[in-house]
Amino acid sequence: MLVFMLMNVLPGSTAELMVKHAFVGLEQGVTDEELATISERYNLDDPLYLQFFHWMEDGLLRGDLGTSYVYNRPVAHLLKLRLPATILLAMSSMSIAIVCGVSLGVYSALKENRLTDHLLRFVSLFGVSMPGFWVGLLLILLFSVKLKMIPVTGYGSFENLILPSLALSIHSMTSIMRITRTSMLETLGQDYIRFATAKGLPMRLIITRHALKNAMLPVITVLGFQMGYLLGGSVIIEQVFSWPGIGSLLVNSISARDLPVVQGCIIVIVAMFLLVNFLVDILYTYLDPRIRYG
Amino acid sequence: MLEVKDLFVEFPTRNGSVKAVDGVSFSIKEGESFGIIGETGSGKSVIGLAILRLLPPTARIRGTILFEGRDVYTMNSREMREMRGRFVSLMPQNPATSLNPVLKNSIQVSEVFEQHGIKRAEGLKKAKDIMSKLLLTDPGRVCDQYPYQLSGGMKQRLLASISLSMHPQLMIADEPTKGLDNESREKTVELFDKIRSEYGSSMLIITHDLDFARDVCDRVAVMYSGRMVEINKAGTIVTSPSHPYAKGLVQALPRNGLVPMDGQSPGRINLPDGCLFYQRCKSRKDVCKKQVPVMKIFEGGRVSCHLY
Amino acid sequence: MLIFFTHILTHVSGTGDLMIRKRLISALNNEHLQKAVERKDMLIAMIMLALLILVALASPVLSPYDPNAIDLDNKNGNLTSAHLLGTDYLGRDMLSRILCGATTSLSISAGVVTLSLIVGISLGCIAGYYGGFVDEVISRAIDLFLAFPSIIFALAMMGALGPSILNLMLSLAMVHWASYARLMRGQVLSVKEQEYVLSTRLLGASDRRIMRKHIIPNSIAPIIVLATIDLGHVILSVAALSFLGLGLPMDIPEWGAMLSAGKGFMRTAPLQTIFPGLAITLVVVIFSILGDGMRDILDPHEQGDDLY
Repeated sequence: MLVFMLMNVLPGSTAELMVKHAFVGLEQGVTDEELATISERYNLDDPLYLQFFHWMEDGLLRGDLGTSYVYNRPVAHLLKLRLPATILLAMSSMSIAIVCGVSLGVYSALKENRLTDHLLRFVSLFGVSMPGFWVGLLLILLFSVKLKMIPVTGYGSFENLILPSLALSIHSMTSIMRITRTSMLETLGQDYIRFATAKGLPMRLIITRHALKNAMLPVITVLGFQMGYLLGGSVIIEQVFSWPGIGSLLVNSISARDLPVVQGCIIVIVAMFLLVNFLVDILYTYLDPRIRYG
Repeated sequence: MLEVKDLFVEFPTRNGSVKAVDGVSFSIKEGESFGIIGETGSGKSVIGLAILRLLPPTARIRGTILFEGRDVYTMNSREMREMRGRFVSLMPQNPATSLNPVLKNSIQVSEVFEQHGIKRAEGLKKAKDIMSKLLLTDPGRVCDQYPYQLSGGMKQRLLASISLSMHPQLMIADEPTKGLDNESREKTVELFDKIRSEYGSSMLIITHDLDFARDVCDRVAVMYSGRMVEINKAGTIVTSPSHPYAKGLVQALPRNGLVPMDGQSPGRINLPDGCLFYQRCKSRKDVCKKQVPVMKIFEGGRVSCHLY
Repeated sequence: MLIFFTHILTHVSGTGDLMIRKRLISALNNEHLQKAVERKDMLIAMIMLALLILVALASPVLSPYDPNAIDLDNKNGNLTSAHLLGTDYLGRDMLSRILCGATTSLSISAGVVTLSLIVGISLGCIAGYYGGFVDEVISRAIDLFLAFPSIIFALAMMGALGPSILNLMLSLAMVHWASYARLMRGQVLSVKEQEYVLSTRLLGASDRRIMRKHIIPNSIAPIIVLATIDLGHVILSVAALSFLGLGLPMDIPEWGAMLSAGKGFMRTAPLQTIFPGLAITLVVVIFSILGDGMRDILDPHEQGDDLY
């Protein structure tokens, strides 16, 4: 809880810095009159903490996050427009990353030290090292430009979704693959797996029933962190693919010094992040009975 | 019923090959309770695992293991799965780690039955039956719990019940008294007596506890450094052992004065020629250094020593 | 350059490999270095790192052209003998820009990691050593910084502060210090209970001295591993920020910015999007291999914390 409160404070204060810079920087192009008008309109003359307090009040109590400087529309409205896009992107990336990452990780563990394993590990090394936006660009290059299979930008159909999600998922997928592999190998070395074999159980059943649950625990632990990475990465990927989500809104408004929008975006992102972490914690307790009762 | 001929098990490591089992032969008859005694690291557990083909894939195995006349190592995976749990079962060494912590006990108990063709509900019923025979109080409640909620003794009985589920012909018990205090030891002896009287399975009992072996086994083999040095009736070995190492073991018992043996077992990678006990043997002769003694029949059992 | 590279690689992986390695090993007395050289992947990574550093240091000399020299007649050119890697949309030579980009990336990354190390180690040490309220406060701060998606934070800061090298380094250091602090704190907590620390304390050494002479040197190993891998991660962050236009000022050649610029010309000059990204990936891979290798060397039994 404390973290939550602190987190809320932090983005706000960062944004405060921006205001100062914004108006210091724009000084040359703005007459005194205009400065006065804007200051009045946005209450910028008040000391910082008062501004912040008003903003919190408006935002949390009344859901009014202010008005965008640039678009001249309520921030909340803008956020609402763009939120679904980002959620869609994040969810599909996460799904791809988990499904592919876990399967490949398990597969890699089973074929330990054989060619497939080495190959997969090599690929995962690169996957983690490649910058997300580069992957996106390469995908566009391959599928849109050369093969002309998929439109470059746009939003609305499955075709539009697949490249960005794929690009965003690569880093997490390879990360998950690595962790799954290590965890699986360790689990398979445990005594209870040997005992399960001694009972005459076939390998497939041992993996699905005995090994998987135990091996997944470390993976779940990092899921929260992965989500953080995905949210951060989505900011960049949305730029690459011109995806109309919160991420690109954030970047654009930072460049445009659109303070209320920036604050709004950050709030939303933080909220999503906290929500996911909360869900991950619940999932963890569900999977490990020791935590539940002990 | 079980015949092991010239079994060799090696584990290759970075520094050389560890010879865990170095030419072991023995057999177990129907209904017989056969014990293997040795120190930690003498290779006894490896034998038990080898019979069920539960050794890690890095192990190199040579020799023959015949169960009911069939060579275990020529069976395909289907036949192995049928043999495990049903004809030959394992009661593993460490009760705490041999149960899957995230699965309910009921699942871990019933899956043996399910795997061998019996429906879950019926399997559970049979399992609870075995559990009460083995003096596990309130089997129903035990099944609903998770492993971490059981005490060490309860876990052991649970494991014993699981291994007896399909009334196997041979049950391999790996170090059943490891780390147990005297009272629990007594209970375990009781348990094994119960198993023998109720089920009549043959047993292969792997232990370091001489007295336990005497109480529970018909015949006992003494292992040293990967080789069997003496095989005889359990009582005989404890009262009048033939091989010097066996003598040393008996002398080291608390009631005999806790007389320790000098020296240590040889490192397992580059084994010396001749008898492996040479360094520590008080009755050694020159020939012991050069020649490995052959196992000979002697006074109702077999010994591998140049003294005889 | 590339030809030089491949020549070395083939030579190393060929038959000359064994001889060279043996000679290198005997020439190096340090046990850690010896272990490092034994591993083939580490060896290759170290060689590449050396080359990378060389390039970074000497790039103004090595570049055939001034990386910022605009030559509008030649824009978006392909690979020619004059321009080995082509030209970008302003006619600037790609090869030179990539080489200079190496300087940029490595120096910024080194600066960020150094800053993070200093702040992280100090705070982590203080938190772990003194405990109590100080520890609580610092730990909360660490959790806060660590949990939040780093890029967003850095974005906001760069947006507020404006593009410049110093601001970039500050923002990234703000984001990265927390992992060092947490790691250091954990290490300190375990080291400070060790006997030699307690005895030094009894002798009356000052806190700072204890920290400097005893605690830090013994905690440093996993931090070195972290720092190595982090060098790669920072480069990724730098590239990402520059890609978005919120990183370095536009006149400094940087791989991420190059990708951003090349984005618009994918149809006509796809090479612009390939080479800078490839450079980034290769550098990060090198640091990853080095970091992993170091982890194995410095403490083969440690189970590294996955930092992804």
